[in-house]
Amino acid sequence: MLKGHLDAIVLAALEGAPAHGYAIIETIKTRSAATFDLPEGTVYPALHRLEQAGLLESDWVTPPGGRRRRVYSLTKAGVGALAERRKSWGRFSQAVEAMLQGRRAWPA
Amino acid sequence: MAGVIDSYLASLQRDLDFDPALARRLTEEVESHLRDAAEADPAWPSDDAERRAVERFGLAREIAAQFAADAVAQQSRRTWLTVIAAVVMTFVAMRLRVMWLSDIEITAASLAPFVDRYAFAAAIAVATVGWFAFRSSLLPLAVCLVGLAASIAAGFVRADLFTGGAPLHVLLPAAAEVALVGLLAWRVVDLGRRVRRTENLKGIGT
Repeated sequence: MLKGHLDAIVLAALEGAPAHGYAIIETIKTRSAATFDLPEGTVYPALHRLEQAGLLESDWVTPPGGRRRRVYSLTKAGVGALAERRKSWGRFSQAVEAMLQGRRAWPA
Repeated sequence: MAGVIDSYLASLQRDLDFDPALARRLTEEVESHLRDAAEADPAWPSDDAERRAVERFGLAREIAAQFAADAVAQQSRRTWLTVIAAVVMTFVAMRLRVMWLSDIEITAASLAPFVDRYAFAAAIAVATVGWFAFRSSLLPLAVCLVGLAASIAAGFVRADLFTGGAPLHVLLPAAAEVALVGLLAWRVVDLGRRVRRTENLKGIGT
């Protein structure tokens, strides 16, 4: 189930600032309170896929005295895609909540 | 002796052999990730710290399989776009041949006109059904390719293009349609190779 939302999770993890793969995984773990315990490597196909789709851009960065890393950031299209996914997730989660709680349909 | 991370990177590079450029880039990227993760481990420096970093990262072949599956989807989209271009070009070239044929005596009183027309129609029908119902399957692409190739060959026989003498406005579109169908053939073969590689990577993991 998480895999279906991985792209949106990665976009959200990059919303605050550009980051490299390891930092993205750390952000996901911290913000989900370790609920999303997925193999760390699965984030890389998602990063590649999102970059190919034009939602992310990346570049190699070498900090002084540090290790060379590929740093990803949201593009303008990525910011728009994240907003769109937030909206559709909001509708979806409200619908599931209504179903599970036995409530009537939420306001359209 | 190679370290745990080095061994892992070597196996990741092997599993990504379907895309050498991606393999080089990802190996470097994953190396910095794994070294960061190992250094954050309380047992660093040790093989155990590296082993835990590798275990948290996941199996190399499973990660390679995800990349391979994405590459298949991308190549499939490109192949379908090539189908559209090849169908349009074949149709244009066919119409130009027919216009030219009406000015000359048709010498090929054979099956050629029938094959020219109906193989093309069959290719369009199979491509349409394939697009809507079996987009992830190779079969409609292969059938469409055969249909277009048969139609083009029959068109060439019909217009006597194999012996030469056709005007430039017939030869140029004919060359373009052959080039596009050639490109389509290459894409179908490449897609088949990528599908087999993906299945192989997924199969090893089960």
